[in-house]
Amino acid sequence: MSDILAGGRTGPPLAYAIVNTAVRFSPLLLLALGWEFLGLTGLVSQQMLPGLGEIADAFSSMLFGGELLYNTARSISRAAAGLGGAVVVGVLLGLLMAQFRPVRLLFNPIVQIFYPMPKSALIPVVMIWLGLGDSSKILLIFLGCLLPVVVGTYNGARGVNPFLLWSAASLGASRVDVLREVVLRAAMPDILNGCRTALAFSFILMVSSEFVIATDGVGFMISSLGDGGQYPAMFAAIFFVAGIGFAADRLYAMFARRALRWREA
Amino acid sequence: MSVTHLSASPRSRAHTASGISVRGVSHTYGARTAGGMLALDGIDLEIADGEFHCLLGPSGCGKSTLLYLIGGFIPVQAGVIATSAGPVTSPGPDRSIVFQNFALFPWKTVKDNVLYGLKKAGFNAAEREQRARHYIDMVHLTGFENAYPSQLSGGMQQRAAIARTLAVDPGILLMDEPFGALDAQTRRVMQEELRAIWRDSRKTVVFVTHDVQEAVFLADRISIMSARPGRIQHVIDVDLPKDRGEEILENREFIRLSEQIWRLVREQAVAATRGAH
Amino acid sequence: MMNMAQARPIAPNSPSQKQKLPAPRRGLHLSPHMVDVAVQVAVVAALAGIWEFGARFGALNPFLLPPLSVVLGRIWEDLIAGTVPVDLGLTLYRALLGFAIGAVIGIPAGILMARSNVVRWFLDPLVSIGFPMPKIAFLPIFILWFDIYDTSKIIMVAFSCFFPIVAATYAGCSSLDKWPIWSARSFGAGERELLWEVYLPMAMPQILTGLQVALPVGMITTIVTEMLMGGRGVGGAMIMAGRFADSVGVFAGIVQIIILGFVVVKSVEMIRRRILIWHPESRR
Repeated sequence: MSDILAGGRTGPPLAYAIVNTAVRFSPLLLLALGWEFLGLTGLVSQQMLPGLGEIADAFSSMLFGGELLYNTARSISRAAAGLGGAVVVGVLLGLLMAQFRPVRLLFNPIVQIFYPMPKSALIPVVMIWLGLGDSSKILLIFLGCLLPVVVGTYNGARGVNPFLLWSAASLGASRVDVLREVVLRAAMPDILNGCRTALAFSFILMVSSEFVIATDGVGFMISSLGDGGQYPAMFAAIFFVAGIGFAADRLYAMFARRALRWREA
Repeated sequence: MSVTHLSASPRSRAHTASGISVRGVSHTYGARTAGGMLALDGIDLEIADGEFHCLLGPSGCGKSTLLYLIGGFIPVQAGVIATSAGPVTSPGPDRSIVFQNFALFPWKTVKDNVLYGLKKAGFNAAEREQRARHYIDMVHLTGFENAYPSQLSGGMQQRAAIARTLAVDPGILLMDEPFGALDAQTRRVMQEELRAIWRDSRKTVVFVTHDVQEAVFLADRISIMSARPGRIQHVIDVDLPKDRGEEILENREFIRLSEQIWRLVREQAVAATRGAH
Repeated sequence: MMNMAQARPIAPNSPSQKQKLPAPRRGLHLSPHMVDVAVQVAVVAALAGIWEFGARFGALNPFLLPPLSVVLGRIWEDLIAGTVPVDLGLTLYRALLGFAIGAVIGIPAGILMARSNVVRWFLDPLVSIGFPMPKIAFLPIFILWFDIYDTSKIIMVAFSCFFPIVAATYAGCSSLDKWPIWSARSFGAGERELLWEVYLPMAMPQILTGLQVALPVGMITTIVTEMLMGGRGVGGAMIMAGRFADSVGVFAGIVQIIILGFVVVKSVEMIRRRILIWHPESRR
């Protein structure tokens, strides 16, 4: 549908963009209408499917009451700490594994064993290790995000065109230069892909760990609203978290596209 | 064909041109005791200071391997390779290389690619700017300084790679079928430009190719190599004028040499096909 | 040719001339490969040893990391008591059933998105918004709608698995090379034959990749649902152990999950190789 519009482009660019976006996202509007209609028919109870107006009201009172932003900030700060650590350690470890055989032999079996493990299973482990506070969730997110970054970096660094390395060496680059200026840069597309997976994992683990063990954070907020029967607020908080996860991914994709501008022909 | 002159080169930090001496070099891929593949067998070759030397042979004759050994990219297993700086043990900016697949850094613009080697060579900022501009202009890429390699045609990428290599002013220029991926017209233009650049800069050039005409057009001397295991079968002097342009293609000597060399190469290729069965 | 090469061994090179720059890749030599395998097996054995003896002799706190033998002993007891097969079986059943539902809906939806403008118009925004969202956040909604038993768990897993599958199928089916399609048409293939004999096989690598992304996501989700809602299943057993500070129980769970994850992922890789035997990727 949007393709057809793109072909018959007539109006000024801005109006075109607005119409295009409206057409593209009109199914969401349909879905919202269906939601409201289902509520009106009374086939589904108000509890199970609160009206969108109610949800919006609950959202604005949570937003202006400050609790939503506070809990979100708590969650995001934990996710950022875990993810940030995982990216730094993961890139370093992946590069070292790709470059040095002893490092590779030491860590490859560990990666092979732990990579397929569903990371949410670590929730009780970090609870045993560090209790219910921030540190246990940060560790969980760190461990869960580490391996996608390691594997992405490793594959990228191993796949570097050897002629690029030779070129750099013949232009006078030292081994360290080659690692930093060529291997790291050439592996960047794979590294960024690994980090994108890690970003998604960080949100999943952030919300899951807060469902299961927490005293604050959006996940905790959602489950306590649910337990308290405040369903419109619960729906609002869920949509809010989902929206943040979506926005984080979009922002990241924009950043990655900028960083990889050189690939576009 | 207008080629800007290298004598305008800003400041001389040139690696002095040097001859290359290859003595008794053999190379085996894979296990060296059994089951390995003997790629080069007892290569002896003296390349003079400032000579344009072509290594010519059928594919799989080990000519690229020999070039990589001279470049120091793969370790010498048997024999000695030396330049005036001593035996070759590792890659270095005195022996810069242009690869068939260009090997430009795809995340750097044309200019940043050229600047990379200059930075490594320790030129100061002003010199780097000046040299980069000079060599980009020399390969006719002025106006494309800020383009990424993926935005350029194959011919333009190869010219950028040549500019990057020439900018560090290596005494020895190694070229691994640098024009192999280009279309026929671009190839001809690039050959003429390379010959002109060489004439003005007097570098030692080792040029790998499997194209007989290309070798005769470019070289002072041609080594014809046999297929697996690679050996040097003939070394032929090319007695043609220093200045070579389009007109050389009709030169009697050029045609005679091309035919003679083509026959020798064909013998190698036929022998290789027989040997394989 | 090769015989000649073998007959004339080259003088051995000096060991000092080791070059670290990677040469263009050549085929695997058997002996260094076997050395690699041996070293890596040794690494695993050493880690198990450090775990066991470190915990046993006080270098590691045995509450934080109970000795491996104790953990394995617990698994053995539970195996005999019959709880291990039930918990593992339930977790695997929920993960696989949810995954299968996600695939059965997701693959046709992805194909239809590529083939029909209306379906694409409707699903494209939903998929492009849903794909990057943390789906697990919707778990309380499914609990609200379907209660805390198997239904909500399985629907949650299916919901999580659906997005990577539909996105990969759509991407795979909409970027097909036109030459095989044109040649099939020129042999007189109809739309139905094209679908089964050209579109699907060509999109298969990407569809399988989507499935390979979805299955671990499904297992992560299964375990979280079990932890949150309690009841049987490895996730439920582990969180119970955690709440009662039974660290042996927690590590018994982790060991089971590691094995389960490993077996599932490796089996899927094997299945992929079987299905894509025609594909260049299988010749690596």
